[in-house]
Amino acid sequence: MSEEKKGGFFQAIKEFAYGVAAHDSARFALKTRASMEHLFILITMGDMLGVPILPPYYSLRLLPYVVPQISTWKRRMLREKDLTDALA
Amino acid sequence: MNSVYVLILGFIIAILGYRVYAKYIDSKVMKADSKRATPATMYMDGVEFMPTNKNILFGYQFKSIAGAAPIIGPIIAIQWGWLPALIWILGGALFIGWVQDYSSAMIAMRSDGASFGGLSHKLISPRARIILLSFIYFYLLLIAGAFGNVVVSTAIGLKASPMAWLFLTIGGILAGQMIYRWKKDIILTTVVTVLIAMSGIWLGTIAPSNAIVGDALSNSRPLWAIVAFVFCYFAAVLPIWRFALPINYVASYIVFLGLLFGIVGIFVLHPDFTLPAYTDFSIKIGPLWPIMFVTIACGAISGWHSIVSSSGTARQLENELDARPVGGGVMFVEMMLALFALIIAGTLYASPAEYGAAIAKGPGGVFAAGVSKFLGVLGMPADIGRAYGSVMMIVLAITIMQLVIRFMRISTSELLGDISPIFKNAHVGTVVASLLGITVVLTGWWQYLWVLFGGANQLMASLALMLVTAYLMSEGKSYAWAFYPMIFMFITTIAALLFTSYNLLSKVLSGAVTGEALIGNTLMGVVGFFLVIAAIILGIEGFKAFNRYKKLRLAAKPASA
Repeated sequence: MSEEKKGGFFQAIKEFAYGVAAHDSARFALKTRASMEHLFILITMGDMLGVPILPPYYSLRLLPYVVPQISTWKRRMLREKDLTDALA
Repeated sequence: MNSVYVLILGFIIAILGYRVYAKYIDSKVMKADSKRATPATMYMDGVEFMPTNKNILFGYQFKSIAGAAPIIGPIIAIQWGWLPALIWILGGALFIGWVQDYSSAMIAMRSDGASFGGLSHKLISPRARIILLSFIYFYLLLIAGAFGNVVVSTAIGLKASPMAWLFLTIGGILAGQMIYRWKKDIILTTVVTVLIAMSGIWLGTIAPSNAIVGDALSNSRPLWAIVAFVFCYFAAVLPIWRFALPINYVASYIVFLGLLFGIVGIFVLHPDFTLPAYTDFSIKIGPLWPIMFVTIACGAISGWHSIVSSSGTARQLENELDARPVGGGVMFVEMMLALFALIIAGTLYASPAEYGAAIAKGPGGVFAAGVSKFLGVLGMPADIGRAYGSVMMIVLAITIMQLVIRFMRISTSELLGDISPIFKNAHVGTVVASLLGITVVLTGWWQYLWVLFGGANQLMASLALMLVTAYLMSEGKSYAWAFYPMIFMFITTIAALLFTSYNLLSKVLSGAVTGEALIGNTLMGVVGFFLVIAAIILGIEGFKAFNRYKKLRLAAKPASA
C-alpha cells in the first residue's frame, strides 16, 4: 500500500518535471506537423471548404488516406482563432 | 519577524485557499463535474485539444506563468516596507489571484475551448474583441520593455552573467540538435547540455564580461539591449525546436534547482527581516495605493496567467476537476515564489540605505545576491552563487521575452499585413517588434516601466475577471466572488496607469526631460493612456453586458402569484 503510494508520488514528480521541461516542446512539434499536414489537405481537399485548387481526380486518389483526418482538419480550419492562440 | 514564519504563513494561506475557498467555488458554484466532457476529450486533435494528465499540466502551467515578475515585483515593492507587500501577496493570491487563473480556464473549458477574443465577442460585444486584442498587443510591448530592462541591468550589474547566458544558449542549441536531429537519448542530452550551461556559470566568474570586451562595452546599455533582442529575433524566426524550446528546456533545470535549493537555504538560515515593516505611504515611485498593488504583479495576480489558462491549459484538461489543482494550485505556488523573493529582499541588507544602493542598479543584483546567500549555506562559493542567481534572473526574463516577440511578430503580420504585404514577412515583423522593444528599454526609466507593465498586467486580469463575471451572469450563477475582485482591480489599475502616465507626460509637457528620456516618457505615457482608454471602453461594454444579463434573468423569472 505504502509502496504504491510512494510509486504514485514519484510518478507525479516525474510527470511534473516533464510538464515543466518538455511538454511545451512536444506540443509545438505536434503543432508544426499538424500545420503542415493540414496545409497539404487544404491544397488537395480544399473544395470541401469551398477552395477548389487541384483537379478532383487527384483529390479522389488521395481521399482514402485523408479520410481519418477530415473531421479534425475541418474543425481546426474553421475554428475561430485569435492572437492569443499563438501564446499558449 | 523571522522569514520562516512568512513561509509557514504562506503555506497556511495556500492550504486554506486551495482546500477551503477554491474547493467551495469549484464544487458549489462552478459545479465541476468529472462526467462532463471537456473540450480536450470532445475535440481531441492530438495537437491543441489533447487530454493531458493533471500533473503534467501542473508543470506546464507553472513553467508558462513563472517568469521574472513574481520575483522582481516584491523586490521593488519592499520599498514601502515588507508588511504591506506581504499582506497584498497573501490577500491578492487568496481572494483574486487563484480566482482569475482558475475561472479563466473554467469558462474557456465550458465554451468549447474558445480563447479570449471569441469569449469577449460572445459574452460582451463584437467591439470588445477588437479592443481587447489591441490592448493585448500594447500590453505585450510593455512586457518586452520591462523584462528587457531586467536583462540589460542584470548583464551590466553582474559581469559573470553574459558568459553564463552564452553557454546556456550553446547548451540549448545543442540540446535541440541532439534531440531532433541526432535522435540522442533524452537523459544523455539533458546531462550534457545542463552541464554545459552550468560550466558557463563557473566560467563567467573567471572570465567576466569586462575582462573580455572591456569596461566601456560591458557597461553599455545599448549593447546588451541589442544582444537581448537579437536573441529574441532568433527565437522568433528560427524553427521553434531549433532555438527557443531547447533553450527553455535547459534553462528550466537551472531555475528549478536554484529555487529548490534556495528555499532549503532559507529554512537552514532562517534569517530575520532587517528592512522596516513599513516605511511611508508615499515614496519616490508613488503612493502605496495604487502603485504597490501593481508593482507586485504576478505574485498576487496577473493577467498573463489568464491568457495561458484560457488558450493553453483549458484545451488540455481531461477532467473538469483538474481545473482547481492546475489553475488554482499553481497560483498558490507562484505566491510562494513571490514570498521567496520578498524574503530575499527583506533579509539581505542590514539597512534601507544598503538596499537602496543595490536596487538603484536593478532588481537582478538583489536577487542574485540573495540566491548566493542561500545557496552558500549548501556550500556554493559566493561568486558562483551570484552568477547562478544572475543567470536565473536572465532566464526568467528572456524566456518570456522571446515568446512575446514571437507573438508580436505574428500580431504585426495580422494587423498590418493588409496595409502592405511586407509586414507579413517574418523578419520584418520581428524587426518591428524588436525596435519597439529596444526603444522602450533604452529610453524608459525602469521603475516607471515596471509600474506600467504591472498596471497593464493587472488590468488584463481585471478584464479577464470581467469575462468571467459576464459568463457567470449569463449562466445564472453566483458572481460576487469574481465581480468584486474585478471592480477592485479595475479601479486600482486604472488609477495606477493614470498616475504613472500623468507623471511621465507632465514632465514632457513641462520640458523637464530631454533626449532619450523625452522619447521614453512620451512613448510610455502615450501607451499608458491608450491602455486606460481601451480598458474604460471595455469596462463600459462590460457593464452594458452585465445589465443585459440581469434583465434577461429578471424576464426569465415567473411572475409571482
